[in-house]
Amino acid sequence: MTENPASSLVGKEISGCEILNKVAEGGMGAVYKARHKALNRIVCVKILSPALANDKKAVELFLTEARAIAELDHPNIVNVYNVGKEKGYYFIVMSFIEGQTLSVMLKKNKILPIGLVLDLFEGVLLGLQAAHEKGIIHRDIKPSNILINPQGQPKLVDFGIAKKMDKEKGSTKTTELAGTAYFIAPEQALGKDLDTRADLYSLGASLYYVLTGQFPYNGKNTIDIIQKHINDPIPNPANLRPDMPGWLSLAVQKLMSKNPNDRFQTAKETYLYFKKMRAEEQLHLKMGNSGRAIDLGEEGPLRIVKETKTHTPSDADVIKRQRAEEAATRKKTTSSSRLPLMPQLDSSVPDNKEPARPQQSPKESIQMLSAQNVKPVEVFSPMKRPGAARLSQNGKMRAVSLEIRMLIKLVIFVPLFVIFTWAIAYLFHRLGVICSVHIEEHAGLLSNLIMPFFASQYEPNQMLFTGLAIGAIALIFASATLKAFSRSTLLLLIVALVSYMAGLFTPQVPFMQMNTLAQYLFTPEYYLCYFVFALAWAMGLCGTLNRTMPQGVLGAALVTLALVLAYLSSHLTIPPDSHTLLIKIIFYAGLFCGVLSIYYLLSRAEKDTLLPPLIMLLAATAGLWVYSVSGLAHNITSTLNTITANIVVTDSRNAKSSEKMEELVGLDSRRQLFATFDKTNELTDLSDEQAMSVLEGKVDKEFPGLFDENTKPLFMYFLLQYYRGGESKMNFSVWDYTLSFPIKNFNRNAEGNDAYFFLLVLLFVYGTISCAGTVFFSEDL
Amino acid sequence: MSSFDIEFAAVTDIGKIREKNEDNVLISSDLGLGVVADGMGGHSAGEIASNIAVSVLAETVRKVNTQKLKIPDNFLPKLSPVDRKLLMAANLANAAIYATAQSSEVYRMMGTTLTGVLFDKDNATAVHVGDSRLYLFRDNKMIQITTDHSLATEHVRRGLLTRAEADRSKIQNVLTRAMGIKKNIEFDLLKFPVKPNDILLLCSDGLYKGLSEAEMAQQLKEGQQMPLVKLCKQLVRISNENDGQDNISAVLIKVLPTKKVTFKQRIKRFFSKA
Repeated sequence: MTENPASSLVGKEISGCEILNKVAEGGMGAVYKARHKALNRIVCVKILSPALANDKKAVELFLTEARAIAELDHPNIVNVYNVGKEKGYYFIVMSFIEGQTLSVMLKKNKILPIGLVLDLFEGVLLGLQAAHEKGIIHRDIKPSNILINPQGQPKLVDFGIAKKMDKEKGSTKTTELAGTAYFIAPEQALGKDLDTRADLYSLGASLYYVLTGQFPYNGKNTIDIIQKHINDPIPNPANLRPDMPGWLSLAVQKLMSKNPNDRFQTAKETYLYFKKMRAEEQLHLKMGNSGRAIDLGEEGPLRIVKETKTHTPSDADVIKRQRAEEAATRKKTTSSSRLPLMPQLDSSVPDNKEPARPQQSPKESIQMLSAQNVKPVEVFSPMKRPGAARLSQNGKMRAVSLEIRMLIKLVIFVPLFVIFTWAIAYLFHRLGVICSVHIEEHAGLLSNLIMPFFASQYEPNQMLFTGLAIGAIALIFASATLKAFSRSTLLLLIVALVSYMAGLFTPQVPFMQMNTLAQYLFTPEYYLCYFVFALAWAMGLCGTLNRTMPQGVLGAALVTLALVLAYLSSHLTIPPDSHTLLIKIIFYAGLFCGVLSIYYLLSRAEKDTLLPPLIMLLAATAGLWVYSVSGLAHNITSTLNTITANIVVTDSRNAKSSEKMEELVGLDSRRQLFATFDKTNELTDLSDEQAMSVLEGKVDKEFPGLFDENTKPLFMYFLLQYYRGGESKMNFSVWDYTLSFPIKNFNRNAEGNDAYFFLLVLLFVYGTISCAGTVFFSEDL
Repeated sequence: MSSFDIEFAAVTDIGKIREKNEDNVLISSDLGLGVVADGMGGHSAGEIASNIAVSVLAETVRKVNTQKLKIPDNFLPKLSPVDRKLLMAANLANAAIYATAQSSEVYRMMGTTLTGVLFDKDNATAVHVGDSRLYLFRDNKMIQITTDHSLATEHVRRGLLTRAEADRSKIQNVLTRAMGIKKNIEFDLLKFPVKPNDILLLCSDGLYKGLSEAEMAQQLKEGQQMPLVKLCKQLVRISNENDGQDNISAVLIKVLPTKKVTFKQRIKRFFSKA
């Protein structure tokens, strides 16, 4: 189809007409001035907007109606020469009228003589009558659709051609109403069935405008104006133009009756009435009488009064009823909407400046006001105002029952949580005590925690308790489905771990013995307790959905506290190793992670981030921990390096496995690889104890009196790792030892100061508060 | 994000007599957003307008969520972030349609309705312009949340027509507000709390012309055990059988009861971004 006729059509030929230039453009299409080649006269070509050309129904109507008008040959209607489709354009060829529209004329002259106006409108009425006889409704009578040619002849143009299709069948959605708001007939504005009398209303409104220079109804927007046409009293044009004869003012009002039956019924009737009254007027003037003496007859004024009387009460009833509905609807929209809706115009309250029927207006407005007080229908109550309903009626009862329900929940869940936590703690403590037999003094923390389950021989009851412990862990996870327990999963796991460690490392202290607690509360020995406590709480807050701002701030504070405590609790008398680059990097990375974690907790993003702050927190504490123990690791490593540089260990080239492998694979590079894993020297062939004693002899020879009884076995252990597994293995075991050194230290102290059980109590208190809080604040109790 | 689990379903149908489907629907469970737009204008302009409306709205919401787009500070600063987000998205969509409409003669008359609902915490926030509707089905009752921006509804508000008359009126299709017609338009913003088991229905005028409120309520009541998509299809089918003069679109949104969250989902939610 066509793309853009506006730009491309000028200079082209349509239906034997050469398009000269564009005259006007509207929503429905464009109007061009053109030259008819055969007739050699200027014509007007209207092209249907391509946007509408695809709508079959629309096109159909366009053509049908245009053809009907083409059949009309009336001096007061613009002539249509041709209608059709060419080159993909739907077009109408009309006569081109030099001259101006009535609205332009009015604007130029400000005020038009009544005689001229009546002459013009008589012409319009004749044209309209001709159209109506053909069954064509104009639908859009307005001053700008009445053209006045240079001879002073009025011509009706723009027979609702394109606009009609919008209306039919309610098919296409639109934002425009056919007909101009200022002149629209009430039935047209209400979407009722139209007949020719709608044109008479518009004609009356146009007459009002042309006579007075003002629109019959004015408003803030189109809807307002339209609704005034439907509902407001008919204005009296004589108020604005006192020189108007009384019969004309009444005729205008009659044309503008709300009910079509109260208007003049045909254009011809109107025309004849105008003629008759003007003739009588002339007669009276000739006879020297003033206009006052004119006998108006019954029809004019009486009908209008009757109409208003019969309509107002019923309208008011409708209004009253609808107001109630409206109040309900408006209640809803305004209470829930955050933005102003369409301006709520109260057009229905009569304008007191120009009361057409003053005796009616006060009554009407009183009814309106009372109608506004009608209570809204309670359609929205189940959703909008549950709170209000409760408060007013059985509010107290509900509130009480809510409290009771919450109390019941607290009474059930909090003791349940307490019992559950104790049971877990006790179970894991027992498991720890049983497993404590398997502890190896020099091994790292992790291997000590895990090794009991891989021991060659199990203790009595160990399998039973392991099974129970696994069951308990499953139970902890399962308990997360309970709302009251949902926040405590992590905490319960920590409790399990701590009680297991308590049993494992301090088996001789009975469960929950806290004799010596008070004297250690504020000593560095307990830093680790505080650290674990702060860490657990911070982790809990990191994992909280929909954090509030205070929770975020608390979380950030706890993260900071945990970081400080991580440094303090593992801090040894030896200052951290600040020379190695890697350690420095780890330290700053740890700090960075801590800051990031705090940032995540405090940032107010749309979505809560759960995992990132948690990971950052753990990374930060790990980094600081490594940093604070690095001094010890550095000291041990440097001592070991001195020793290994001075001790001679003879290589023995009889590592069979490696050689065999070499032969099999036949690759040189393999040797290097295996060599690092399996050092082959005199120590590898010996058993652990023999190797140890050989080493001891060598160290004692080179460095007599370097180690005391306590440190010697440890260093021998590291050296053995070196000679059997190489430097990397030694480093690993050194770091394994130093990293868990604070905890070992803690374990050693815990035997005396009951720190484990203090920690358990801390966790337990926090857990109970958290559980109670979860119950308390959960939304649906 | 909503504190409830929410299920979405959307169906759109061309109807019996139309040659084109000018409706567009969109549902996004990760944004918590459901939208219906009903376009108007010749050629394909209606389809294009409603498409722009729906896609720009969703894309803007997504961009604001991921902080790729920042809402200007002076844009309705008194409203809550969610309201601002939604209004900004709607305004951008309107601007996009208006710009397209002005760009070419073919698109000049195009416009669209838009009714969208965004879930956040316990609330649903709806943005609305035109004659598509948002219904809330609660306690077996159908409540129309939005007010049509049509001349007929305006008349009803003023008591010039009864609701029944308006439903039969010829001016039902005359809108008083639509997107793409003006550079700046006013949107209705409606906020209401949702509860478990609520069903929200977003629909174009095609649906409610063929299906009365009572019938909708009946269908939703009977279909509570049915899969949501099936229910949605059924609504559209029945409306099409009854009327079918226009394109028919429906979006059903069900607020699921929170208690039915499985253990697995809970763990998953715990370890993932909420």
